[in-house]
Amino acid sequence: MGVPSNRDLLAACQWAGATVAVVALSDDLLLRTILGAPMVFLVSGHAVLRAIGVRTIYLSEHLAYAVGASLAAGIAGGFALNAAGVLTPLGWAVWFFAVTVGATLVAAARRDAADLPAWPGPVRVSLWQGAALALAVLVATGAYALAVREEATDRQFKYTELWMLPPASGDPSRLTVGVRSGEAQTQRFDLEITLDGRPFAVFRSLTIAPGGSWVREIPVPVMPTRQKAEARLYRPEDNLLYRSVSTLVPHI
Amino acid sequence: MTPAHLTAATGMNPLQTGMQLVSAVIGPDLRGGNADAPPHQANPGWIAVLCLTVGTALLLVVAGNGAGRRGDAVALLLFWSGVVLMVVPTSLRIAWPLVARGERLFLLFLLAEALFYFKVVYSPTNFINYDEFLHWVEADDLLTARRLFLSSPLLPVGRTYPALEILTTAIVDLTGLSLFAAGTVLLAVLKGTFVGALFLFYERIAGSPRMSAIACLVYMGCSTFALFESMFSYESLGVVLCVLTFAVEAASKDLRGRPRLKALGLIALLLASLAVTHHLSAAFAAIYLGALAVFETLRRQGPPRINARIAVGLTAILAVALPLLWMQARGSSLPSYLGPVIEAGFKTLLAKIMGTLPPTSAESIGAPSVPFGMRLTTLLGILLLSLGLATGFFRSLAMTAPSSARAGWRPIQDILKRRWRDSRIVLLTLLAFGFPVSVAFRLTIVGWEIGNRMGTFVFFAVGLVVAVSIVHFWQGDAPRGWRRIAPAVALAVIVLGGVTSSSLAPMRGPYRVAADQQSVERMGIETALWTKAWLGAGNRFTADRGNRMLLAGYGRQDIRVNIIEGVEAARVFKAEKLGPAEYYPLVRSDVDFLLVDLRLSTAPPVLGFYFDPWEPQKGRRLSADALLKFNDIDGITRIYDNGWIIIYDVRGLHGRS
Repeated sequence: MGVPSNRDLLAACQWAGATVAVVALSDDLLLRTILGAPMVFLVSGHAVLRAIGVRTIYLSEHLAYAVGASLAAGIAGGFALNAAGVLTPLGWAVWFFAVTVGATLVAAARRDAADLPAWPGPVRVSLWQGAALALAVLVATGAYALAVREEATDRQFKYTELWMLPPASGDPSRLTVGVRSGEAQTQRFDLEITLDGRPFAVFRSLTIAPGGSWVREIPVPVMPTRQKAEARLYRPEDNLLYRSVSTLVPHI
Repeated sequence: MTPAHLTAATGMNPLQTGMQLVSAVIGPDLRGGNADAPPHQANPGWIAVLCLTVGTALLLVVAGNGAGRRGDAVALLLFWSGVVLMVVPTSLRIAWPLVARGERLFLLFLLAEALFYFKVVYSPTNFINYDEFLHWVEADDLLTARRLFLSSPLLPVGRTYPALEILTTAIVDLTGLSLFAAGTVLLAVLKGTFVGALFLFYERIAGSPRMSAIACLVYMGCSTFALFESMFSYESLGVVLCVLTFAVEAASKDLRGRPRLKALGLIALLLASLAVTHHLSAAFAAIYLGALAVFETLRRQGPPRINARIAVGLTAILAVALPLLWMQARGSSLPSYLGPVIEAGFKTLLAKIMGTLPPTSAESIGAPSVPFGMRLTTLLGILLLSLGLATGFFRSLAMTAPSSARAGWRPIQDILKRRWRDSRIVLLTLLAFGFPVSVAFRLTIVGWEIGNRMGTFVFFAVGLVVAVSIVHFWQGDAPRGWRRIAPAVALAVIVLGGVTSSSLAPMRGPYRVAADQQSVERMGIETALWTKAWLGAGNRFTADRGNRMLLAGYGRQDIRVNIIEGVEAARVFKAEKLGPAEYYPLVRSDVDFLLVDLRLSTAPPVLGFYFDPWEPQKGRRLSADALLKFNDIDGITRIYDNGWIIIYDVRGLHGRS
């Protein structure tokens, strides 16, 4: 068994260090994903595998074991960081850095380190084959974008929401009433509000476009007894009671 | 096989001929297995064409889902032609003789990831399955609170097994991705790792990349492969750790001394992770590795290898002890979680077999309806698997018999005398008996869950036995003509059967009542989001099963399954009037809001229940009057109404408003 080069371990440590730096200093999603995701899935596990000294024959075998060891390192990290009270982005970055560096030191100190499996030979890909592969990726990506669009535009039910919320504890004299449209077309409504069955306020011809909303805070008198406030939404064209809601106005 | 005309010529009676024929079909004769290609001959042309084919297939699947949402008639054609195009050509190439190892492995990855894509595009921007909501809520809680072991009313056992949430939140924290994106990336990696590890496991014990690839294809025929093991749920991680452990263990079987110890180190790491990830996967690993240790002890073949037996024994001890220690440390509620399900499943299956099912049992409601084509494909897949098991059982055993005894039934006699070369093959072959048991459970409504979960583990064995059958019997020495095509087509049908049995409705369609993912649509989501925006997070809510999930996931509300101890929400919602038995528990409870979905009154529940599988009067359609009975109760107000969904504020009942 030959003594393997430790360049891969050095690269793993550099990767882990770069991840700590980027997590600490940057909010860039792409950069953090490029560095962070391989830390969770591969880099730390590769170092752990080298530290244990498990011998693998195929690259696929080494990769599968490295993913498993990475997952194990991540799971252990969850418990360790929880115990230390630092389950935070920086805590995670430092954990994977510590695992990678620690495993590297152990692997570097080993005298019976296992050889890394050989990389498979290069596969000759012709132009049309490369084009077909690229097209396949494009089609699959485009199909996913189409699925996202289909979901965003999917509205099986057309509806209008009406709500009435009791006064907040800080200000017992204000009710909140809201209307939001999930209809296909702009709609016109009349809104009536009663207090203990007595007319209290009316809002005529509220025009609400699809996706639009109308919200008001309505001052109400606070009485020695609890009152029931009700809101009714009508469609003026057929004077039909469309929605009704209610809430309680607390007493003084 | 014995040709018919030989019967007369040799003077054998029909019984002997029949016996010989049966023996030739199911007997232990091994032939073939020489059609593995030499290494480094991957064909990039085939790979490119199949990638493009799969890409086109995925586009058809997405178009089918889109058409299904709109209720277009062409949806079924688009969707299922996409599924067939995705599965059939790739399966045929994987099962073809004389294909390079690397090409087979790549195509297995391609097919597994395509099936994962197929699952994700059902809901491409958010988790949608019931179990996914449970784990989504737990992961979100972990991100918010930044600590483990939080209470989990919807999945009490989940707090003991937080590994999936730990890894997902690690990705979120390191990358800044959303929880859904991080979870999806994790699941995609898990899917690829699973297939890779499974291939390596089979390859090590069968010694053939072709047989290994075929076994992996057979595994994809399991009803849990396409969807269940791709969900954002702890079993998706558990099964990967499980198969990785088996792969490392199988790879270390011929190692001695320090190399074996090093492998044991990795196995210990994986088993420790598995113990905190998923109870059933850990239990299966314990059963498999424990049984392997027993078989190694029983084995008489070859010189006694004390070190190997100690290594297998240590592995078994770790596999059994680590989950038990973890359960002991966390005070797991696993027995109360799994016990009733297993007990009810066994009782129902026995009653069904004995014909003693009471007419009022859950079985009387009947299984949810499934389109004829899906049922036919599933049935065909099961029949082909059964045929493969029948013709592969003795051949699998013969494969590990001493090499000197490969003629007639001698290999089986050797096995009966405890002479075999690899205990893993013997164990897996015997485990294949679990397949008919799992199918029997799936024929009952109460036991369906058990049968489905069993499948995940039983198919490790089914994969090997059916692969042996194909390589050593159906394809044989010279796989040409029908011997080359028919087994490959059968494998494609088996994989298709896995897809059709994976869900009641794999294609996206319009809203259906009480049908889990089919009940998730924009209006319900918007209502849940409204609760978060206007009421704030963390209010105590109760509702039907589907809306509970939306309120927990999108609304971040504190969901109650029971109104108070011993009084389920279903009782309050299903009563025609709010009598004392419902009213007073509601008054005594701490529930803040009830969400009523009037769509429940428009149809009977697709899954047989609106609230929980154990609810009273299962299957009976709810009435709108029953749901609207809260309108006129003093102390209850109706704070939200969108025409279908109503939210009642019940804090007035507790003197809080």
